[in-house]
Amino acid sequence: MLQNLFFKSLEQGLVFGIMALGVYITFKILKFSDLTVDGSFPLGAAVAASLIVSGHSPFFATAAALLAGTFAGLITGVLNTKAGISDLLSGILTMTSLYSINLRIMGRPNTPLLNQPTVYSLIDDFSKNVWPLFPSKHIYLLFFIIFALFVKIFLDAFLKTQMGFALRATGDNPQMIRSQGVNTDLAKIVGLVISNGLVALSGALVAQYQGFADVGMGVGTIVAGLASVIIGDSLLGERSVFVSTLGVLFGSFLYRFSISLVLSFRLAQASDLKLFTAIVVIIALTAPRFKQSLKLPAKGCESYGNS
Amino acid sequence: MVILDHIQKIFHRNTPNENQALDDVSLKIKEGDFVTVIGSNGAGKSTMLNAIAGVYPIDGGKIILDDVDITSLAECKRAAFIGRVFQDPMLGTSPSMTIEKNLSMAYARPKNMTLRWGLDFSRRKLFKDYLKNIPLGLEKRLSTKVKLLSGGQRQALTLVMATMKKPKLLLLDEHTAALDPKTALLVNRLTEEIVHKNNITTIMVTHNLEHAIKMGNRLIMMHKGQIVMDIKGEEKSTMTIPRLLNKFEQLQGEKFAEDRVMLA
Repeated sequence: MLQNLFFKSLEQGLVFGIMALGVYITFKILKFSDLTVDGSFPLGAAVAASLIVSGHSPFFATAAALLAGTFAGLITGVLNTKAGISDLLSGILTMTSLYSINLRIMGRPNTPLLNQPTVYSLIDDFSKNVWPLFPSKHIYLLFFIIFALFVKIFLDAFLKTQMGFALRATGDNPQMIRSQGVNTDLAKIVGLVISNGLVALSGALVAQYQGFADVGMGVGTIVAGLASVIIGDSLLGERSVFVSTLGVLFGSFLYRFSISLVLSFRLAQASDLKLFTAIVVIIALTAPRFKQSLKLPAKGCESYGNS
Repeated sequence: MVILDHIQKIFHRNTPNENQALDDVSLKIKEGDFVTVIGSNGAGKSTMLNAIAGVYPIDGGKIILDDVDITSLAECKRAAFIGRVFQDPMLGTSPSMTIEKNLSMAYARPKNMTLRWGLDFSRRKLFKDYLKNIPLGLEKRLSTKVKLLSGGQRQALTLVMATMKKPKLLLLDEHTAALDPKTALLVNRLTEEIVHKNNITTIMVTHNLEHAIKMGNRLIMMHKGQIVMDIKGEEKSTMTIPRLLNKFEQLQGEKFAEDRVMLA
């Protein structure tokens, strides 16, 4: 059973890991607390599911979902930089409006994808034609490993370009990068666009993976994303972009695995999950503090950690 | 050629705290000039630099750089031809990025939003050669994060970054004020070396009268938002601290009161 649990968690960890990579861009690179993801994740699912149900190709549907997500990020970015609304509030505003928009897109709260083609079924069919021995049982795992790594490598490469440097400096020292001629408003918007594009892409893949899109499936996305980013960070550290993004995927897997463990041993019921998630994030966020105070027994006036 | 044409800056306008930081300041700086600026606290020195750099809009007048009116140009657009070093060593660099990445951003200025690789073999070699000219040993630490450097090393790095692409104008806002005297001397020497070698038009604000007299070829004293003294040529090269203070007293009828000014 544990082996089955492990592989299921790996699948989920990787497909939700694409969302976590999006959260990594805003939270870690731009230091922007972007709550849009709670809306752009179901947006991706809604767009993909609706398009598939109405007879469009799953590949086209997934690409359209990605595009819709980038648009959501653009709105948050414009609200924040051009309208001067704080990062938290501009994300909340976009997220809230997306709830209605997602209902409009689907026309109802839930769109099942039963007996509909998905990117997985199409790839599975294609692979079986080419190679009859293709292990269909592992189609999800194979697809997610390849695709999540592809997204990770794409992100790594992007962060090594001149524009990637500018985004990192925007989160690190906006005054400095402005004096190097970068419009930090534009840099923030670019980051939010890419981030929410990835989140919506993840939403589209999750909808096809679980067989439905639901308007409520976005609740807590940001917390799950943060949990993955923070777990990866505290386990692998910030040595380089390559290690950090790998840590995000690994953190996402560990997060899903621990949830599956808790559920399968009946330590909690499914409805307790959000509470459990929040506690995981709190522990991950405060762990460095505890570690510090263990190392430095002298009690001063300042608290340590969280530099 | 830099022209400040009757520029005005008023902070907190129409409030009890209204403060005329720049009062009808006009100044013409020739290409290649190295101008040092002194003055007491609140004289308007930093306000003048920030106005030129575009940190905030001015309330009147024009700023012209090489025949182009830049008065309404955004800060990040002006950065294409204005290099800056700040007083705070934390401000000029991106602390959690490496030296070579910081240099790469300066080298790419102002075309930083492109998808070109930020670093490659030839750039690394270029940066290494560039840093060899500074006696700080930074050329061996290209992949060190900037937050691990000392204040002096950071200011030297910021100076290199500000001048890497030759700017039309270099603004130095008390860039050695936060450093110990020995490091300040080193950064000042480096400043003179870079400015002279590349013939960069420079405005340097300082609280150190000695530095203001020794460095550059023109000295400006500001007081209450106005330029009250402008010393060039031979008068500048033969100037001493007592004569400078004397001249200020004659001009203003009051003593040059400034506890932060260092006399020696």
